[in-house]
Amino acid sequence: MSLFEAIFGRKKKSAEAARDRLKIMLAHERVNTLPYIDDLKRDLIEVVKKYAEVNDIKIKTEKNQDIDFLEVEILLNPPKS
Amino acid sequence: MGTIITVTSGKGGVGKSTTTANVAVGLAQAGKRVVAVDFDIGLRNLDMILGLENRIVYDSIDVMEGRCNLSQALISDKRDKNLYFLPASQTKDKSALQKEKVRELLETLKKDFDYIVIDSPAGIESGFENSIFLADEALIIATPDVSSVRDADRVIGIIDAKSEKAKEGKEVKKRVVINRIKPEMVESGEMMSVDDVLNILAIPLIGVIPEDKKIISATNLGEPIIYDKNSLAGEAYRRLSRRILGEDLEFLELKAKKGFLGIIKGLFS
Repeated sequence: MSLFEAIFGRKKKSAEAARDRLKIMLAHERVNTLPYIDDLKRDLIEVVKKYAEVNDIKIKTEKNQDIDFLEVEILLNPPKS
Repeated sequence: MGTIITVTSGKGGVGKSTTTANVAVGLAQAGKRVVAVDFDIGLRNLDMILGLENRIVYDSIDVMEGRCNLSQALISDKRDKNLYFLPASQTKDKSALQKEKVRELLETLKKDFDYIVIDSPAGIESGFENSIFLADEALIIATPDVSSVRDADRVIGIIDAKSEKAKEGKEVKKRVVINRIKPEMVESGEMMSVDDVLNILAIPLIGVIPEDKKIISATNLGEPIIYDKNSLAGEAYRRLSRRILGEDLEFLELKAKKGFLGIIKGLFS
Protein backbone atom coordinates (compact mmCIF):
# COMPACT_ATOMS: atom_id res chain seq x y z
CA MET A 1 0.00 0.00 0.00
CA SER A 2 1.38 3.37 -0.94
CA LEU A 3 1.54 6.31 1.40
CA PHE A 4 -1.21 7.98 -0.66
CA GLU A 5 -3.50 5.04 -0.02
CA ALA A 6 -2.56 5.00 3.67
CA ILE A 7 -3.59 8.61 4.03
CA PHE A 8 -6.71 8.64 1.87
CA GLY A 9 -7.93 5.10 2.50
CA ARG A 10 -8.51 2.35 0.03
CA LYS A 11 -11.61 0.73 -1.35
CA LYS A 12 -11.56 -2.55 -3.26
CA LYS A 13 -11.15 -1.51 -6.86
CA SER A 14 -13.58 -2.79 -9.47
CA ALA A 15 -10.88 -4.50 -11.55
CA GLU A 16 -10.05 -6.63 -8.53
CA ALA A 17 -13.71 -7.52 -8.14
CA ALA A 18 -13.91 -8.48 -11.83
CA ARG A 19 -10.89 -10.72 -11.46
CA ASP A 20 -12.21 -12.47 -8.37
CA ARG A 21 -15.71 -12.97 -9.77
CA LEU A 22 -14.35 -14.37 -13.02
CA LYS A 23 -12.04 -16.80 -11.26
CA ILE A 24 -14.88 -18.22 -9.21
CA MET A 25 -17.28 -18.34 -12.16
CA LEU A 26 -14.82 -20.01 -14.50
CA ALA A 27 -13.76 -22.58 -11.92
CA HIS A 28 -17.37 -23.76 -12.00
CA GLU A 29 -17.89 -23.49 -15.74
CA ARG A 30 -14.74 -25.32 -16.72
CA VAL A 31 -16.01 -28.43 -14.96
CA ASN A 32 -18.44 -29.06 -17.77
CA THR A 33 -16.12 -28.56 -20.68
CA LEU A 34 -14.85 -32.14 -20.93
CA PRO A 35 -17.06 -34.04 -23.35
CA TYR A 36 -16.37 -37.44 -21.77
CA ILE A 37 -17.04 -36.50 -18.17
CA ASP A 38 -20.40 -38.31 -17.85
CA ASP A 39 -19.05 -41.52 -19.39
CA LEU A 40 -15.98 -41.36 -17.20
CA LYS A 41 -18.12 -40.93 -14.12
CA ARG A 42 -20.31 -43.93 -15.02
CA ASP A 43 -17.31 -46.17 -15.68
CA LEU A 44 -15.59 -45.10 -12.49
CA ILE A 45 -18.66 -45.96 -10.46
CA GLU A 46 -18.73 -49.41 -12.08
CA VAL A 47 -15.09 -50.07 -11.22
CA VAL A 48 -15.23 -48.81 -7.66
CA LYS A 49 -18.46 -50.69 -7.00
CA LYS A 50 -16.59 -53.96 -7.47
CA TYR A 51 -14.65 -53.20 -4.31
CA ALA A 52 -16.65 -50.81 -2.22
CA GLU A 53 -20.02 -49.21 -1.73
CA VAL A 54 -20.06 -45.91 -3.59
CA ASN A 55 -22.19 -43.07 -2.46
CA ASP A 56 -21.24 -40.46 -5.02
CA ILE A 57 -18.44 -39.48 -7.34
CA LYS A 58 -17.52 -35.87 -7.90
CA ILE A 59 -15.25 -34.94 -10.77
CA LYS A 60 -13.67 -31.53 -11.03
CA THR A 61 -11.45 -30.24 -13.78
CA GLU A 62 -9.23 -27.25 -13.57
CA LYS A 63 -6.87 -25.49 -15.88
CA ASN A 64 -3.97 -23.62 -14.42
CA GLN A 65 -1.37 -22.26 -16.84
CA ASP A 66 -0.03 -25.38 -18.55
CA ILE A 67 -1.38 -27.92 -16.11
CA ASP A 68 -4.75 -29.61 -16.41
CA PHE A 69 -6.16 -31.15 -13.26
CA LEU A 70 -8.78 -33.82 -13.04
CA GLU A 71 -9.85 -34.18 -9.47
CA VAL A 72 -11.92 -37.21 -8.55
CA GLU A 73 -13.59 -37.41 -5.20
CA ILE A 74 -15.20 -40.72 -4.31
CA LEU A 75 -17.56 -40.76 -1.37
CA LEU A 76 -17.85 -44.24 0.10
CA ASN A 77 -20.78 -45.50 2.10
CA PRO A 78 -19.89 -46.03 5.73
CA PRO A 79 -19.01 -49.69 6.33
CA LYS A 80 -21.86 -51.73 7.76
CA SER A 81 -21.00 -52.96 11.22
CA MET B 1 -0.01 -24.65 -48.62
CA GLY B 2 -1.52 -21.68 -46.85
CA THR B 3 -2.26 -21.24 -43.18
CA ILE B 4 -5.81 -20.75 -41.95
CA ILE B 5 -6.16 -18.24 -39.11
CA THR B 6 -9.60 -17.95 -37.55
CA VAL B 7 -10.44 -14.80 -35.61
CA THR B 8 -12.99 -15.56 -32.94
CA SER B 9 -14.26 -14.45 -29.53
CA GLY B 10 -17.59 -15.88 -28.48
CA LYS B 11 -18.98 -12.51 -27.55
CA GLY B 12 -19.97 -10.07 -30.27
CA GLY B 13 -18.73 -6.51 -30.61
CA VAL B 14 -15.24 -7.02 -29.21
CA GLY B 15 -13.38 -6.30 -32.45
CA LYS B 16 -13.26 -9.51 -34.48
CA SER B 17 -13.89 -7.90 -37.86
CA THR B 18 -11.58 -4.98 -37.11
CA THR B 19 -8.83 -7.39 -36.10
CA THR B 20 -9.43 -9.61 -39.14
CA ALA B 21 -9.16 -6.60 -41.47
CA ASN B 22 -6.02 -5.22 -39.85
CA VAL B 23 -4.23 -8.55 -39.59
CA ALA B 24 -5.06 -9.31 -43.23
CA VAL B 25 -3.63 -5.95 -44.32
CA GLY B 26 -0.62 -6.38 -42.03
CA LEU B 27 0.27 -9.80 -43.44
CA ALA B 28 -0.22 -8.51 -47.00
CA GLN B 29 2.08 -5.56 -46.27
CA ALA B 30 4.72 -8.07 -45.21
CA GLY B 31 4.54 -9.50 -48.72
CA LYS B 32 2.29 -12.49 -48.08
CA ARG B 33 -0.61 -13.39 -50.35
CA VAL B 34 -3.62 -13.00 -48.11
CA VAL B 35 -7.36 -13.51 -48.40
CA ALA B 36 -9.73 -12.19 -45.74
CA VAL B 37 -12.88 -14.30 -45.62
CA ASP B 38 -16.08 -13.15 -43.95
CA PHE B 39 -17.92 -16.10 -42.37
CA ASP B 40 -20.56 -13.99 -40.71
CA ILE B 41 -23.28 -15.03 -43.14
CA GLY B 42 -26.29 -12.73 -42.98
CA LEU B 43 -24.56 -10.10 -40.85
CA ARG B 44 -21.53 -9.24 -42.88
CA ASN B 45 -19.36 -6.33 -41.85
CA LEU B 46 -15.83 -7.03 -42.94
CA ASP B 47 -16.66 -5.51 -46.36
CA MET B 48 -17.28 -2.07 -44.86
CA ILE B 49 -14.30 -2.19 -42.51
CA LEU B 50 -12.07 -2.99 -45.48
CA GLY B 51 -13.84 -0.35 -47.57
CA LEU B 52 -14.71 -2.85 -50.29
CA GLU B 53 -18.51 -2.95 -49.94
CA ASN B 54 -19.15 -1.34 -53.33
CA ARG B 55 -17.19 -3.92 -55.23
CA ILE B 56 -19.16 -7.01 -54.20
CA VAL B 57 -20.86 -8.89 -57.00
CA TYR B 58 -20.76 -12.51 -55.82
CA ASP B 59 -20.17 -13.98 -52.37
CA SER B 60 -18.83 -17.19 -50.84
CA ILE B 61 -22.26 -18.87 -50.86
CA ASP B 62 -22.50 -18.23 -54.61
CA VAL B 63 -19.15 -19.97 -55.00
CA MET B 64 -20.13 -22.90 -52.79
CA GLU B 65 -23.44 -23.36 -54.58
CA GLY B 66 -21.80 -23.15 -57.99
CA ARG B 67 -23.35 -19.91 -59.23
CA CYS B 68 -19.92 -18.45 -60.01
CA ASN B 69 -16.22 -19.24 -59.99
CA LEU B 70 -14.04 -18.46 -57.02
CA SER B 71 -12.12 -15.91 -59.08
CA GLN B 72 -15.35 -14.04 -59.84
CA ALA B 73 -16.17 -13.71 -56.15
CA LEU B 74 -12.69 -12.75 -54.95
CA ILE B 75 -12.22 -8.99 -54.69
CA SER B 76 -8.71 -7.65 -55.05
CA ASP B 77 -7.84 -4.73 -52.83
CA LYS B 78 -6.45 -1.90 -54.95
CA ARG B 79 -4.39 -0.56 -52.03
CA ASP B 80 -2.37 -3.76 -51.78
CA LYS B 81 -1.89 -6.22 -54.59
CA ASN B 82 -1.33 -9.07 -52.13
CA LEU B 83 -4.70 -8.68 -50.46
CA TYR B 84 -7.99 -10.28 -51.50
CA PHE B 85 -11.38 -10.40 -49.88
CA LEU B 86 -14.13 -13.00 -50.07
CA PRO B 87 -17.44 -11.57 -48.85
CA ALA B 88 -20.21 -13.32 -46.97
CA SER B 89 -23.76 -13.48 -48.25
CA GLN B 90 -26.03 -10.86 -46.76
CA THR B 91 -29.31 -12.47 -47.81
CA LYS B 92 -28.74 -16.03 -46.60
CA ASP B 93 -28.25 -17.14 -43.02
CA LYS B 94 -25.64 -19.24 -41.25
CA SER B 95 -27.43 -22.49 -42.08
CA ALA B 96 -26.54 -21.91 -45.75
CA LEU B 97 -23.01 -23.14 -45.00
CA GLN B 98 -22.38 -26.82 -45.55
CA LYS B 99 -19.31 -28.33 -43.97
CA GLU B 100 -18.14 -30.23 -47.06
CA LYS B 101 -18.59 -27.18 -49.29
CA VAL B 102 -16.67 -25.07 -46.78
CA ARG B 103 -13.88 -27.64 -46.80
CA GLU B 104 -13.72 -27.59 -50.59
CA LEU B 105 -13.57 -23.78 -50.64
CA LEU B 106 -10.89 -23.52 -47.96
CA GLU B 107 -8.76 -26.27 -49.51
CA THR B 108 -8.80 -24.33 -52.78
CA LEU B 109 -7.89 -21.08 -51.06
CA LYS B 110 -5.01 -22.81 -49.27
CA LYS B 111 -3.46 -23.60 -52.65
CA ASP B 112 -3.62 -19.98 -53.82
CA PHE B 113 -2.81 -18.01 -50.68
CA ASP B 114 -0.22 -17.92 -47.89
CA TYR B 115 -2.77 -16.85 -45.30
CA ILE B 116 -6.54 -17.27 -45.10
CA VAL B 117 -7.85 -15.01 -42.35
CA ILE B 118 -11.40 -15.94 -41.34
CA ASP B 119 -13.74 -13.56 -39.54
CA SER B 120 -15.91 -15.91 -37.51
CA PRO B 121 -19.44 -14.98 -36.41
CA ALA B 122 -20.19 -14.37 -32.72
CA GLY B 123 -21.58 -17.32 -30.81
CA ILE B 124 -20.61 -20.98 -30.66
CA GLU B 125 -23.17 -22.43 -33.08
CA SER B 126 -22.79 -23.85 -36.58
CA GLY B 127 -21.36 -20.65 -38.06
CA PHE B 128 -18.54 -20.73 -35.54
CA GLU B 129 -17.97 -24.44 -36.12
CA ASN B 130 -17.67 -23.92 -39.87
CA SER B 131 -15.13 -21.18 -39.38
CA ILE B 132 -12.96 -23.13 -36.90
CA PHE B 133 -12.96 -26.78 -38.00
CA LEU B 134 -10.09 -26.39 -40.48
CA ALA B 135 -8.16 -23.68 -38.65
CA ASP B 136 -4.42 -23.99 -38.13
CA GLU B 137 -4.36 -21.06 -35.77
CA ALA B 138 -6.95 -19.17 -33.76
CA LEU B 139 -6.81 -15.59 -32.57
CA ILE B 140 -9.14 -15.19 -29.63
CA ILE B 141 -10.18 -11.58 -29.14
CA ALA B 142 -11.04 -10.48 -25.61
CA THR B 143 -11.72 -7.08 -24.13
CA PRO B 144 -10.90 -6.63 -20.43
CA ASP B 145 -14.43 -7.03 -19.10
CA VAL B 146 -16.12 -9.96 -17.39
CA SER B 147 -18.51 -10.93 -20.21
CA SER B 148 -15.85 -10.96 -22.87
CA VAL B 149 -13.29 -12.89 -20.79
CA ARG B 150 -15.89 -15.44 -19.74
CA ASP B 151 -16.98 -16.03 -23.34
CA ALA B 152 -13.38 -16.16 -24.54
CA ASP B 153 -12.67 -18.85 -21.94
CA ARG B 154 -15.64 -20.85 -23.18
CA VAL B 155 -14.52 -20.55 -26.80
CA ILE B 156 -10.94 -21.60 -25.96
CA GLY B 157 -12.41 -24.66 -24.25
CA ILE B 158 -14.38 -25.80 -27.30
CA ILE B 159 -12.00 -25.00 -30.16
CA ASP B 160 -10.23 -28.34 -29.88
CA ALA B 161 -13.52 -30.21 -29.72
CA LYS B 162 -14.54 -28.72 -33.09
CA SER B 163 -11.16 -28.81 -34.78
CA GLU B 164 -10.07 -31.49 -37.26
CA LYS B 165 -6.46 -30.75 -36.49
CA ALA B 166 -7.05 -31.58 -32.82
CA LYS B 167 -8.77 -34.83 -33.81
CA GLU B 168 -5.63 -35.84 -35.68
CA GLY B 169 -3.67 -35.23 -32.49
CA LYS B 170 -2.17 -31.95 -33.69
CA GLU B 171 -2.64 -28.66 -31.99
CA VAL B 172 -4.53 -25.56 -33.09
CA LYS B 173 -2.27 -22.68 -32.12
CA LYS B 174 -4.46 -20.58 -29.84
CA ARG B 175 -3.40 -17.07 -28.89
CA VAL B 176 -5.21 -14.17 -27.31
CA VAL B 177 -5.50 -10.58 -28.51
CA ILE B 178 -6.51 -8.18 -25.76
CA ASN B 179 -8.42 -5.33 -27.29
CA ARG B 180 -9.53 -1.90 -26.07
CA ILE B 181 -7.16 -1.56 -23.16
CA LYS B 182 -7.51 1.82 -21.46
CA PRO B 183 -4.21 2.41 -19.62
CA GLU B 184 -5.57 5.13 -17.35
CA MET B 185 -8.37 2.86 -16.14
CA VAL B 186 -5.97 -0.05 -15.61
CA GLU B 187 -3.70 2.21 -13.56
CA SER B 188 -6.54 3.40 -11.37
CA GLY B 189 -7.65 -0.18 -10.77
CA GLU B 190 -10.95 0.16 -12.60
CA MET B 191 -10.07 -2.13 -15.51
CA MET B 192 -8.45 -5.56 -15.55
CA SER B 193 -4.88 -5.44 -16.82
CA VAL B 194 -3.35 -7.51 -19.59
CA ASP B 195 -1.79 -9.74 -16.93
CA ASP B 196 -5.11 -10.21 -15.16
CA VAL B 197 -6.76 -11.43 -18.37
CA LEU B 198 -3.80 -13.64 -19.29
CA ASN B 199 -3.79 -15.19 -15.85
CA ILE B 200 -7.42 -16.17 -16.20
CA LEU B 201 -7.33 -17.39 -19.81
CA ALA B 202 -3.95 -19.12 -19.54
CA ILE B 203 -3.07 -19.04 -23.25
CA PRO B 204 -0.21 -17.09 -24.86
CA LEU B 205 -0.59 -13.43 -25.74
CA ILE B 206 -0.08 -12.25 -29.33
CA GLY B 207 -1.40 -8.71 -29.28
CA VAL B 208 -2.47 -5.84 -27.06
CA ILE B 209 -4.53 -3.18 -28.79
CA PRO B 210 -5.15 0.08 -26.94
CA GLU B 211 -8.49 1.85 -27.10
CA ASP B 212 -8.04 4.38 -29.87
CA LYS B 213 -10.61 6.89 -31.13
CA LYS B 214 -8.94 6.76 -34.51
CA ILE B 215 -10.36 3.25 -34.99
CA ILE B 216 -13.84 4.76 -35.25
CA SER B 217 -12.80 7.21 -37.94
CA ALA B 218 -10.86 4.47 -39.73
CA THR B 219 -13.99 2.33 -39.78
CA ASN B 220 -16.07 5.30 -40.93
CA LEU B 221 -13.75 5.68 -43.89
CA GLY B 222 -13.27 1.99 -44.65
CA GLU B 223 -9.51 2.28 -44.20
CA PRO B 224 -8.13 -0.17 -41.62
CA ILE B 225 -6.23 1.66 -38.87
CA ILE B 226 -3.01 -0.19 -39.71
CA TYR B 227 -2.62 2.16 -42.73
CA ASP B 228 -2.39 5.08 -40.27
CA LYS B 229 1.30 5.39 -39.46
CA ASN B 230 0.66 7.72 -36.50
CA SER B 231 -1.89 5.76 -34.56
CA LEU B 232 -1.05 3.64 -31.55
CA ALA B 233 -3.65 1.00 -32.40
CA GLY B 234 -2.24 0.85 -35.94
CA GLU B 235 1.23 0.21 -34.53
CA ALA B 236 -0.19 -2.47 -32.23
CA TYR B 237 -1.77 -4.22 -35.24
CA ARG B 238 1.48 -3.97 -37.21
CA ARG B 239 3.30 -5.72 -34.38
CA LEU B 240 0.55 -8.32 -34.03
CA SER B 241 0.87 -9.17 -37.73
CA ARG B 242 4.62 -9.51 -37.51
CA ARG B 243 4.30 -11.78 -34.48
CA ILE B 244 2.04 -14.05 -36.54
CA LEU B 245 4.92 -14.27 -39.01
CA GLY B 246 7.14 -15.47 -36.19
CA GLU B 247 8.93 -12.30 -35.11
CA ASP B 248 9.57 -11.86 -31.43
CA LEU B 249 8.58 -8.24 -30.79
CA GLU B 250 8.05 -6.31 -27.60
CA PHE B 251 4.55 -5.33 -26.63
CA LEU B 252 3.75 -1.63 -26.74
CA GLU B 253 4.21 0.02 -23.41
CA LEU B 254 0.83 1.53 -22.68
CA LYS B 255 0.86 4.22 -20.06
CA ALA B 256 -1.74 6.72 -19.05
CA LYS B 257 -0.99 10.36 -19.65
CA LYS B 258 -0.65 11.69 -16.13
CA GLY B 259 -2.86 14.54 -15.02
CA PHE B 260 -2.26 16.81 -12.02
CA LEU B 261 -3.67 14.36 -9.46
CA GLY B 262 -1.58 11.55 -10.97
CA ILE B 263 1.59 13.57 -10.43
CA ILE B 264 0.64 14.27 -6.80
CA LYS B 265 -0.11 10.55 -6.26
CA GLY B 266 3.22 9.70 -7.85
CA LEU B 267 5.03 11.81 -5.26
CA PHE B 268 3.59 9.77 -2.41
CA SER B 269 4.05 6.25 -3.76
